Amino acid sequence: MEFTQIKFERSGGFANIRITAELNLRDLSDEQAIALKELLDELDFPKLPTKLTSGETVPDEFIYTITVETEKWQHTIIADGVPKDAKIQELLELLNRLARKKMRNL
Amino acid sequence: MCPCFHPVECVIPEHMLESIATHGTSAQRQAALNNIRVVYQLRAEQAMRASFKGLFDSAIPRAINNEKERVIYDAMRRDTLPGTVARREGDAPSSDPAVNEAYDGGGTTYDLFMKEFGRNSIDNRAMRLDASVHYRTGYDNAFWDGTQMVYGDGDEDLPTDERLFNRFTIAVDIIGHELTHGVTQFEAKLVYSQQSGALNEHMSDVFGSLVKQYQLQQSASEADWIIGGGLLTGNVNGVGVRSMKTPGAAYDDPVLGKDPQPAHMRAYVNTVSDNGGVHINSGIPNHAFYLTALEIGGYAWKKAGQIWYTALRDKLSESSNFQQCADLTHQTAGELFGVGSLEQQAVQHGWAAVGLTVSESGGKPKPSGCLEATLRFIGAA
Repeated sequence: MEFTQIKFERSGGFANIRITAELNLRDLSDEQAIALKELLDELDFPKLPTKLTSGETVPDEFIYTITVETEKWQHTIIADGVPKDAKIQELLELLNRLARKKMRNL
Repeated sequence: MCPCFHPVECVIPEHMLESIATHGTSAQRQAALNNIRVVYQLRAEQAMRASFKGLFDSAIPRAINNEKERVIYDAMRRDTLPGTVARREGDAPSSDPAVNEAYDGGGTTYDLFMKEFGRNSIDNRAMRLDASVHYRTGYDNAFWDGTQMVYGDGDEDLPTDERLFNRFTIAVDIIGHELTHGVTQFEAKLVYSQQSGALNEHMSDVFGSLVKQYQLQQSASEADWIIGGGLLTGNVNGVGVRSMKTPGAAYDDPVLGKDPQPAHMRAYVNTVSDNGGVHINSGIPNHAFYLTALEIGGYAWKKAGQIWYTALRDKLSESSNFQQCADLTHQTAGELFGVGSLEQQAVQHGWAAVGLTVSESGGKPKPSGCLEATLRFIGAA
């Protein structure tokens, strides 16, 4: 999936440190870009429902908002810290790692 | 005059909320939508509890001898809970500091609730205290999942000079905070959104801080009132993640940003992030509790803590807001220590200092007040 930008936000959590990152394709290594593209393809990201929350109230869990932009479309999903789908979890963990790294390198 | 700062949080008929959500201004629509969301969440939770109450209750692990019983698990950096047993009640200390911190912190929390408030564990029926440490990799968080505590190791996966968080068992108030989410789940059941969610967080910060003060045997004036002291690494300019004494001043750092907590209703933050700012606006009641405890003096768990615990157990309900919490803690102080007592006055002063005037109605919604507020809200008054 040829995305141009991914916007990532993590809010909540015990410490409530909000993490945001705008990840552009050109800023990522080839390996990171390929991993993200493959995950987005496998998830068929534009067809995912906007809300992927578990429906259970879990105090202090994280809440994630992810927006993927391509030249043709833009799609946003909101997920909480305990999604059942392993691929969604993989995507959240990968984006979280990249965002944490970017946050510290500012 | 209605005590509500956000009029639609009074009891407003659903059709009126729907009308406001359709025809109101942008801010009115957002406020109405937030309230509709709370209503639906309440209904779903009530239905689920009614359907599964018996099953859920029988599935709770309880102490065999009706006393303190802890089981600490090692999640081995995976996301499968609970993991492998690392230490049981009465076992010798482990070589793993996170295991011992979770064990000891759980014990101190149990002791505070049992010895000072007469509560036997989270459910008051000797629920076993289960906790998992080493959850996932690079997991900078701790949470209560409805049945157990879960602790991450912070930024252990990053180079030392990039780490912002230490392990989440490092501060005993974090352990007390998470366990108190369990107590709230069994008592007031405060919905985790907007003001009721901020009160849920507030209660966890209050009893988390009291666990630390109880462990250190500190008076209200001796305590630091910091939540998460020691959690931030030396790379961060901050003393913790929240300050009940000075909300908004716990950290100010180029990477983490600035502590966003307000200390007064005039600075209340309206946001959709963080379940409607539950970790942000909790600064307001947190500061009211701190001021109350300081005015009463002595050990904060003896009187201020007793007032708040009784209100959490007997008075607050799922959709309580800040004004109702102020009214009900004031009412509780009158019942425990006498109407007009120094303790009740201290509660009144604490809330007044954060912009909330206690009502003599005892926190019960006043229909006339809400009607007045609703009319004001829709511009008819």
